[in-house]
Amino acid sequence: MAGGVVEKPAGAYGGSTKNYLNETRGIKNWLITLDHKRIALMYLVAVTSALLLGGFFAIALRTVLWDGAVRDPQDLFLGLRIEQMYNRYFTLHGAVMVFLFIIPGIPASLGNFVLPMQLGAKDLALPRLNLMSLYLYWIGAIFFVGVLALGGLDTGWTLYPPYSLGRDTSIPLILALSAVFILGFSSILTGLNFIVTMHRLRPPGMGMYDMPLFLWALYATSLIQVLATPVIGLTLGLSLIEHVFHIGIFLPEYGGDPVLYQHFFWFYSHPAVYIMILPAMGVQSELIATFSRKHVFGYKAIGWSSIAIAVIGFIVWGHHMFVAGQSPAAGLIFSFLTFFVAIPSAIKVFNWVATMYKGSIELKTPMLYGLAFMYLFGIGGLTGLFLASIANNVHLHDTYFVIAHFHMVMVGSTLNAFFGGVHYWWPKMTGRMYNETLAKIACLLVFVGFNLAFMPQFVAGTRGMPRRYANYSDEFTIFHQWSTVGAYILGAGVLLQVIYLTHSWFKGARAPKNPWGAASLEWQSDSPPDFHNFTKPVVVMAAYDYENWEYDANTGGYELRKEVVETGRSIATVHN
Amino acid sequence: MHFDTLHNQFQAGKLGMWLFLGQEVLFFAALFTAYAVYRGNHTEMFHYGQFFLNWQMGAANTIVLLFSSMTAAWSVRCAQLEQRKGLLLTIAVTWLCAATFMIIKYFEYTHKIHVGSVWGASFNIHDFSELPEKLQKLLTEQGITTTEAANAKLGKDGLGLGTFFAVYFCMTGLHGIHVLVGMGLYAWLFVRALKGSFNRKYYGAVDNIALYWHIVDLIWIFLFPLLYLIG
Amino acid sequence: MSDGHAHSHDDHGHGEALPGTIGHVTPASTLIGVFLTLVVLTVITVAAAQVDVGRLNVVGALAIATVKGSIVALWFMHLRYDKRFNFFIMFGSVLFLLWMVGYILFDTKMYQHDMENYRHNKTVDGKPKPE
Ligand code: HEM
Ligand SMILES: [Cu+2]
Repeated sequence: MAGGVVEKPAGAYGGSTKNYLNETRGIKNWLITLDHKRIALMYLVAVTSALLLGGFFAIALRTVLWDGAVRDPQDLFLGLRIEQMYNRYFTLHGAVMVFLFIIPGIPASLGNFVLPMQLGAKDLALPRLNLMSLYLYWIGAIFFVGVLALGGLDTGWTLYPPYSLGRDTSIPLILALSAVFILGFSSILTGLNFIVTMHRLRPPGMGMYDMPLFLWALYATSLIQVLATPVIGLTLGLSLIEHVFHIGIFLPEYGGDPVLYQHFFWFYSHPAVYIMILPAMGVQSELIATFSRKHVFGYKAIGWSSIAIAVIGFIVWGHHMFVAGQSPAAGLIFSFLTFFVAIPSAIKVFNWVATMYKGSIELKTPMLYGLAFMYLFGIGGLTGLFLASIANNVHLHDTYFVIAHFHMVMVGSTLNAFFGGVHYWWPKMTGRMYNETLAKIACLLVFVGFNLAFMPQFVAGTRGMPRRYANYSDEFTIFHQWSTVGAYILGAGVLLQVIYLTHSWFKGARAPKNPWGAASLEWQSDSPPDFHNFTKPVVVMAAYDYENWEYDANTGGYELRKEVVETGRSIATVHN
Repeated sequence: MHFDTLHNQFQAGKLGMWLFLGQEVLFFAALFTAYAVYRGNHTEMFHYGQFFLNWQMGAANTIVLLFSSMTAAWSVRCAQLEQRKGLLLTIAVTWLCAATFMIIKYFEYTHKIHVGSVWGASFNIHDFSELPEKLQKLLTEQGITTTEAANAKLGKDGLGLGTFFAVYFCMTGLHGIHVLVGMGLYAWLFVRALKGSFNRKYYGAVDNIALYWHIVDLIWIFLFPLLYLIG
Repeated sequence: MSDGHAHSHDDHGHGEALPGTIGHVTPASTLIGVFLTLVVLTVITVAAAQVDVGRLNVVGALAIATVKGSIVALWFMHLRYDKRFNFFIMFGSVLFLLWMVGYILFDTKMYQHDMENYRHNKTVDGKPKPE
């Protein structure tokens, strides 16, 4: 039977059939809800839709690239030359994926759901703010739909002037700039809320070193969200004014300095890549520990390395500008500083591997994503180091090598962790198990497809294939075609996920309280949780105190040991 | 309410506010950087630009904001001591100071637009005789006496004062928007205070809005000398 | 994250506070004193700016502004009596601001001559730049 769980009447699992999903009904009750679980679920639907939209553009891009060597440049598609079409695709692909999917992705959906529960709390500290940030997200998303409807944008997601701003007033551009501004504030409010919650709603008896590492990661992410995002907000606000009124701050023809724009942009956008990866690393810590059934190795090292990444992330932005007019002196310092970022990242990877060592590893779907993460993040991180050395960068900048690098970290790592996290918390969020076999097949498709899509790009990049071109010389055909095949396989994997997850939502077997034997507090709630999160008093314990749980063949999941429930105390012997 | 104590709730709101203020600092950071970059590389642009700014008005606004900052802090005190009248009075005075600030700002802005000393591409002096007197003198010493010649000297092919005014309008404009938001917040606070919503254990809104108002003041403390005084 | 769970009422009111007041009550005399200090500092700023001492003008103005800002933060904003963490938020964001301003200023100064060169002679590193 799917998930190895026997179908039982609903009441057997949660004690009560009432839960946050059916507490109240009707669209209106969802739209004005302050419940973090509902907001998280709406976020999940929204960011997944963004993922599918961005994915659609990705497939379109790869399709155009199939025969880029032999195409007649005069070919028209929907009334535009193929190249013009292509420029719009990659801009929207990048912008939608970055601003609508990957930045809000894990924190706003998974984080929103589990953060309060991992603290044994009822909700985030500031629930109204949470709803407001969801609305801001929606407004931003609608603006992007507007950009699409009005014919798109061809500036690249980085929106560099003078090309982007120094043109006739363009409504899609104005919409896009405003959208990112608004989405930025959505992100700031989420981060702010998370920090306040972790400070003020930790239950008595839970110190900072008792929190799950996912929360450390979210904390570090939130710090970046609060402190870096305003910079992009202001930058794009200024860009908007520059574009409409030509005020002469970024546009050279009016006395402005376009390199200044790049400084501002990357002052945010480099830290933003850590907004993308840190939550993924947090998910990863949970997955590896849970499915190795072993106390996480190097708790403090993993926790503090998140904070270190957040801080160091602020001092390396210039590595995106080595050949963009930045002075050699600044480039040298930035190159040097960039190498430091790799240290805390590597610390994490070593500790995950050490956690698995001698663990009793269970290869459930989330764990498979976890393993893929480690391998792909290794490659992504190391190629980042190649790019960080200036001499290499002069050759590799703006080639497919860079594309492959950042897809290794953004897709190979973050998207992987997102999938892993969704599969891990799915039983908790929906109360249903998914089909494990199909899930494993999907995971395999994603993994194979991804590698096929991006490994050839490293080679193409080192041989000089530049990014953002629809046409190329014949020597690159083979790499592009492999890559396109890979993209299709990856796409098939994602579609398969959507199908079986949707199916499980309605028809899946009932999930037990704690199907994986995880020890963080959210697993003490029913699946799906009650509207107030917990129906019984929570036994506060440190994350990874796995000894408190034992397998119960009746429910097909894990239950707290009797002595733990009776004394209300952890009996674990190893602590963080 | 899901906090176990009012004290905890108060501290949560306050922490949220401080994080928001940290965000504000970085929100302005890009503008301070733009200022530093253009001033650092084009001192003469700022030297000439400053002739257009009226430091008396800037100083008056500084005092107005400082005073309102005091009344804002006082409103917190009144809330804590449950002095209802005092609370209403301090809130009202803070609001009035904010309005005064904006009125003075309005006169500064309209004058600049009238003269034509504005941002980037739109910078275009309408009439030589409308230039600030000191500047007229300086230009005359350099043999510049006509409107065209002045524009050639100050405009985008010369000193590029358009960029100076871009920086000026963006910085003071963004600050001005913050003042307007502050006025909205104090108006709302006044209504709530009138209804008697606050007491010594529940006055988070008064405290947090005051914090916001202080940061608006704090930013102006830097803007004033940077823009009006050091040429 | 060091403040732990806040059950401790660590910030009691001043002597004049009503029982059970949350937070620190600033005495009226302090408020007025702080305001007057700020006014005096403003006057000093304006006066100092009238004397031309070159670059020192900037340094002086920024120094006084920093003192004024700190006074506002410490007394009006209660940072003196507040949780240490709130102070760190402010301090940290100001550090990031300084790093941003400082580094970008440094970089633009370094590449300024390239721009000037290009503007006036249309050359980069002594070579004509292809259009
Ligand atoms: C191990 C640490 C990392 C290092 C040393 C590193 C280094 C670099 C360097 C030097 C570049 C500039 C390449 C160029 O344009 O010439 C770059 C580009 C990029 N990196 Fe990384 N990186 C690291 C991790 C990450 C992570 C974790 C992410 C995202 C989750 C990421 C996302 C990106 C993106 C999106 C770009 C290109 C942006 C664009 O130009 O459109 N990087 N990286
Ligand atoms: Cu980077």
